[in-house]
Amino acid sequence: MATGTEPQTGASPTKDDESGAGEVEARVGLRYTLRQVKRDTTARIGIYTVGFVTLVAVLASLDYYVFDYGIAEAIWYSPVQDPEQVRRLLPPVGMENQYGQGTLEHPMGTDHRGRDILGRLFYGTRIAITVGFMATVIGLVGGTLIGAVSGYYGGWIDDVLQRVTETIYAIPFLVLVIAFMTAFGRDLSFAMIGVGITSVPVFNRLIRSRVVSVREEDYIEAARAAGVKDRNIILRHVIPNSFAPVLVQATLQIGVSILIVAGLSFLGFGAQPPTPSWGQMLSASRNYMLPAPTFSLFPGIAILITVIGFNILGDGLQDALDPRINN
Amino acid sequence: MGLLRYTLWRLAQAIPVLIGIITITFFLANQIPGDPVEIMLGPSPAQEQVEAIRARYGLDRPAYERFLNYLSGVATGDLGQSIYYDRPVLEMILLRLPVTLYLTVSAFVFAIATAIPLGVISAKRRNKPADHVSRIVSLVGVSTPSFWIGLMLIIVFAFYLGWFPARGLPLPWEAPGDIRGAETQFEVLRTSLHHLAMPMIALGTLQMAQITRIERSSMVESLQGEYVKLARAYGVPESTIVRKHAFQVAQLPVITIIGLGLSTALGGAVLTETVFEIQGMGRLIITAINNQDYELIMGTTFMFGVAFVVGVIITDVAYAYIDPRVAYGDE
Repeated sequence: MATGTEPQTGASPTKDDESGAGEVEARVGLRYTLRQVKRDTTARIGIYTVGFVTLVAVLASLDYYVFDYGIAEAIWYSPVQDPEQVRRLLPPVGMENQYGQGTLEHPMGTDHRGRDILGRLFYGTRIAITVGFMATVIGLVGGTLIGAVSGYYGGWIDDVLQRVTETIYAIPFLVLVIAFMTAFGRDLSFAMIGVGITSVPVFNRLIRSRVVSVREEDYIEAARAAGVKDRNIILRHVIPNSFAPVLVQATLQIGVSILIVAGLSFLGFGAQPPTPSWGQMLSASRNYMLPAPTFSLFPGIAILITVIGFNILGDGLQDALDPRINN
Repeated sequence: MGLLRYTLWRLAQAIPVLIGIITITFFLANQIPGDPVEIMLGPSPAQEQVEAIRARYGLDRPAYERFLNYLSGVATGDLGQSIYYDRPVLEMILLRLPVTLYLTVSAFVFAIATAIPLGVISAKRRNKPADHVSRIVSLVGVSTPSFWIGLMLIIVFAFYLGWFPARGLPLPWEAPGDIRGAETQFEVLRTSLHHLAMPMIALGTLQMAQITRIERSSMVESLQGEYVKLARAYGVPESTIVRKHAFQVAQLPVITIIGLGLSTALGGAVLTETVFEIQGMGRLIITAINNQDYELIMGTTFMFGVAFVVGVIITDVAYAYIDPRVAYGDE
């Protein structure tokens, strides 16, 4: 699974081959993790990519909520909707198609309504990052709670909760989200919740298996003997000890969620026009693939770069957090 | 006998899951806003007409009664009536399911056939250029939206080069007369494969990338096993070690990942079918949703669940066949 360069992570000073990966991590903590990630070239690329995309998303949100498109207008986004002046389906700068010559004014060309593609991509970042992140948080919180309760108590609680998550997992998740959004609403917030629900089983499984192994640890016994409430044992001891694999999974899951949300928007479930989203741009571009192929090209590249960033970062984190994997 | 009993046991285990799927789909379909009768009859239909339709489709009865009816219907193979197509839901599904299965299974064949050599080469030449190339390919593969790959393939190979058709997917066993330009069964097969190439690659790329990653790490681990060291010590040639000793053991995690990938692939089929305008289950569920065809929505969602559950059982049994400890361990 690992993508990183390998020697550094293998030589960690606190490495302890006999104990589980989580225990290694628990001893060395977050700061150590970050240091390991920074030393890994591939992981650094991941951090930079994710950082860049997130920065763009923050800028786009600021522009949208605070500056009322001020930033974009100043740079390239012309809100002019005068039908006389609109130039549809222009190619990128330096290229030519039947609709005209690409200009620097629209570096990536224009879409079927004459809107600047780069500008639409810029705002699409906001949707992709927000929805990808929120969906993962929903899945993470839901899956962690279910997995922790299930693993800690065992017995019939475990059985019931696990059967329910298995059933959710048994419906292909794109189909499940589509059905969910049909039932409750086609807009973006339901896309987040729907995609979040489909990732609940992933986190549930992860946390549950960790909790089952941590449950028998001495310090949990000690806490119980000292009269600490079950809820507090789970929240303060059990969950924090499962931090490492969850962080890796969450990072990868953001990428997966962005892909699913793009697919949903492509099918018409998600951000509704005129709100720009990458999937919806690709959906619109389908009708112009022959005259303006670059219209279909750029949104896909935006998705690809973003998701690759999260995947590289996830792999890098995994290498840093679990030194045994690469030996 | 272990394997047969294991298969039956896995099938029995699937029953509560299937009932769970029906419950979820019924609950979701019940939440859908709007009135299917209105959609069918237009904006202001006559009251008697509405009531007649409601009674005919059982919409006038309470939810729990409809649920129990639906459940017993499913048990006897009756998935209800599609309001939009005015045909039994099961009939529509049986018409469309083969197309989706043909596409999905082909995508997996493509994925496995490319991923296993890539993964093995990657593991054998760890940290050499071949390994880096294969890892970059799989990283890009897991990060690319399948429908975008489809669009790019259409632009390049259908529109510019004209090598492959951009839409549709005839089945290889369709009658020769039904397909334009295909006189014999062999030509039908050829036309079918010609149409299949691009959607198969679009849908299979993600699976290919995932299987490559697993194959690589599994082979790396397997090549470090004690039995491999022993074989080396005996002077068995390295190529034989890779082919005979390390490879077989390394395939177990790969089978698991194929089973899990089914969920992604069946969902991805909805997108691929949209891009290539293929009339399969994916288009069926979208049509059902756009026309608020309750029973068709429930039926298609349920069938997607069934396809996934059956696929997982098949991979589980394959796993048990290769590693008999699984089948005997569960008794």
